[in-house]
Amino acid sequence: MSWILKLLVLLFFNVFIVLGQDQGAAFENANSAYNAGQFEKAVMLYKEILESGQHSAELYYNLANSYYRLNQVGESIFYFEKAKQLKPLDEDININSAFAQNMAIDAVEVLPKSQITQLKEKTIALFSQDGWGYLIVLVTWLLALFWGLYLWNKVPVFKRTFFVSTIVLALILIGSLSTAIIKSSITADTAYGILFNKKIEVWAEPNSRAEVLFLLHEGTKVQMLDQLQEWQKIRIANGSEGWVKEGKLRSLKGFK
Amino acid sequence: MKKTFLTVLVLLMGIPQALAQGVTFDAKVSKRTLGLNERLRVDFVMNENGDDFNPPSFKGFRVVGGPNQSISNSWVNGKRSFSKTYTYFLTPAQKGSLSISQATINIEGETYKTTPIKITVTEAVEVPRDPNSPEYLIDDNLHLVTEISNSRPYLNEAITVVYKLFFRSPLRISDGRAIENPQFADFWSHNINIPQLKVENGNYKGEPYSLVVWKKSVLYPQKTGKLTLEPLSLSLVIDLPSNRRDFFGNRILQQSSRTVTAGRRTINVKPLPEKGKPANFFGAVGQFNFDALLSKNALKATESFEIKLKVSGNGNLKLFNLPELVLPNTLEIFEPEHTENVKTSLSGMQGNIQDNYTIVPRFQGKYPIAPVSFSYFDPKAEKYFTLRSSEQIVDVYGGPVATNANNNSTPSATKQIITNTDESFRFIKLKPKLEPIVKKQFWNSKIFYGLLVSPMFILIAFMLLMQRSKRVSDDLEGSRLKLANRLSKKYLGEAKKNLKNKTLFYNALERTLYNYLKARLKIKTDDFSKDKISEFLGNRKLQAAEIESFIALLENCEVARYSPATDAKMQQDFDQALSVISNIDKKL
Repeated sequence: MSWILKLLVLLFFNVFIVLGQDQGAAFENANSAYNAGQFEKAVMLYKEILESGQHSAELYYNLANSYYRLNQVGESIFYFEKAKQLKPLDEDININSAFAQNMAIDAVEVLPKSQITQLKEKTIALFSQDGWGYLIVLVTWLLALFWGLYLWNKVPVFKRTFFVSTIVLALILIGSLSTAIIKSSITADTAYGILFNKKIEVWAEPNSRAEVLFLLHEGTKVQMLDQLQEWQKIRIANGSEGWVKEGKLRSLKGFK
Repeated sequence: MKKTFLTVLVLLMGIPQALAQGVTFDAKVSKRTLGLNERLRVDFVMNENGDDFNPPSFKGFRVVGGPNQSISNSWVNGKRSFSKTYTYFLTPAQKGSLSISQATINIEGETYKTTPIKITVTEAVEVPRDPNSPEYLIDDNLHLVTEISNSRPYLNEAITVVYKLFFRSPLRISDGRAIENPQFADFWSHNINIPQLKVENGNYKGEPYSLVVWKKSVLYPQKTGKLTLEPLSLSLVIDLPSNRRDFFGNRILQQSSRTVTAGRRTINVKPLPEKGKPANFFGAVGQFNFDALLSKNALKATESFEIKLKVSGNGNLKLFNLPELVLPNTLEIFEPEHTENVKTSLSGMQGNIQDNYTIVPRFQGKYPIAPVSFSYFDPKAEKYFTLRSSEQIVDVYGGPVATNANNNSTPSATKQIITNTDESFRFIKLKPKLEPIVKKQFWNSKIFYGLLVSPMFILIAFMLLMQRSKRVSDDLEGSRLKLANRLSKKYLGEAKKNLKNKTLFYNALERTLYNYLKARLKIKTDDFSKDKISEFLGNRKLQAAEIESFIALLENCEVARYSPATDAKMQQDFDQALSVISNIDKKL
């Protein structure tokens, strides 16, 4: 059974490797279209690669740049955000993303965060979800190893050392496991989206009798909260919340 | 009730027996047909004095005067004539055929009644007036007229109100002033200044008149529905020719003061049609042009440029706001400077208004200036029009880039970072580094849980193994002990049997010890000397004490064969042999 599975996985990857070679050529084509100033063509080619089921921060970044050149604020910001999801600390992505943000109408002031929140977010962002998974597995194995050594060894000095390191590893395991669980629940619960409406009113309540709180424009990143019929509750980076009606919001969750 | 008695009383007593002519009691009316605005006089006349007069109800009339009572009593040629009259003045309250019903009176015990009179009430009639009275002259030859260009305008559509004073000879106006200037509530009004009143020639109802334009106003209604214009009242001093003439034969002018009032006028303001009303309509009504002008298309950061939103044309220019300019927030925008260049004439406001935005980009990049649309309603075409400026892009080069990374997935970059270096827009990346989108997730996968749990199992297995090996090692010791016991039993069995017999016991014990050594150390029987034994045992890394106790035991056996020994001593030696053997056995 497991052999069949392995074989399948191997085949799967082979297919992708073959595909990847094709897409590499397509990527180069798109790049040269971009360089020649044919941004529409570049967008089309990049999107073709995306539709073939492959992605990378670089692909999203190039796509966003093409949209920026075409002055399409919303699309540009959307793909820059996508690129940032994969590579949050890439300098090129952050700089060009700032250019796109400049182009947007709304500049939302980001709420200052408490040090505890910052620490929490930093901790969570240390590794990716899978990274945390690997860490947890590593720590578990080390823990088991040290415990075993502690049990096996008869020399008191070694025994003591192994005992202490077992305790330390157990604490690390508990910490990283809870962090990973928190991270996964946060990613499951919070969805961000980019607004594509040229202009949209944000209402206090999900009905038109309520008052209009503020206006948002294309390219604003919002957190998508509750939904009621055609109304969507959103929160923007400065903490303001409200409802938009039939807003063209494209979720950043998942890679589609 | 006020009663007037017009009494002519001539009292001549002693003539009570007046000639009894027939008693009459009649009702007389001044006219049988009258207009609604006319009056009617009703007399109830009797020729004998009576009392208990009971007037009719005058249904359909209103009593405006009376009853007045008059009595006349006269003697002519010895003939007495008497009459007593009750007079009422009535105005009809309604049109149509009315009747004055019966009145009753009691004369000398008898009740008399009048006959009912039918009255026909017609429409109100023109009351002719005296054509020579000055009042009549003024009324006829002086008119204050309000001219309204359009009495059914749209909301915010300009209308003009002109007050004209028409007059003709023989009147002459020597002075005039406004007592009451109209307040145009619910209108935006603008008075057009008339520097000097001028007399012009004009027509009023087809007849030539002189006219003075007293007041001109442009009004923009600000409310829908029926709006009333307050009347203008003028106090005029009018010279009227009188019939008298002065010494030179010229007519003497008679001065008369008069207040004239233009009638109250109602304007019905129509609301703007809802149909096709653009969302960005802010109340501009008229005919307009709209422009958004950019002073520069490309500039360096921290330089400034201007955007001018300009509406020019004809309409309520001062009464609406210009559309707002929507710009990226990273641009520094100053409050727009609003300038108005509007002239108001009788045809309405004309000119242009503009908002001048000064903008300073602080960071480099491309800034789209979103198209601004301006909507207005053209009352002539009765349609809405929307004008849009074209989308323009301002290219800012040089200068820092604003990194407004409000990205929650990267908390390290949540602050607005302003990089001070002259960063330029980065080029695309050339290496694809593609990977499948649908990647197998490690977190929460079966492999993850397997790897998470398996070390625990391994650990448990390890612990079990350790325990088992410990038990086995414990078992090893036990088996050795068992072996020693077995050995001792095998070798010492004979000695144990002979515990009662001293000689046999020690013989057996000695033999046992030698046998044991023979078996364990593979020593030949011939070489048994104590030195040899201790040497052998020393080679086997036995401790000196153990060797000594073994040797001592052997010596004991030899000594005991020739010396008396007790049972207790034998038992002690046996135990010692057992312990020595098992001790040695353990070490070997």
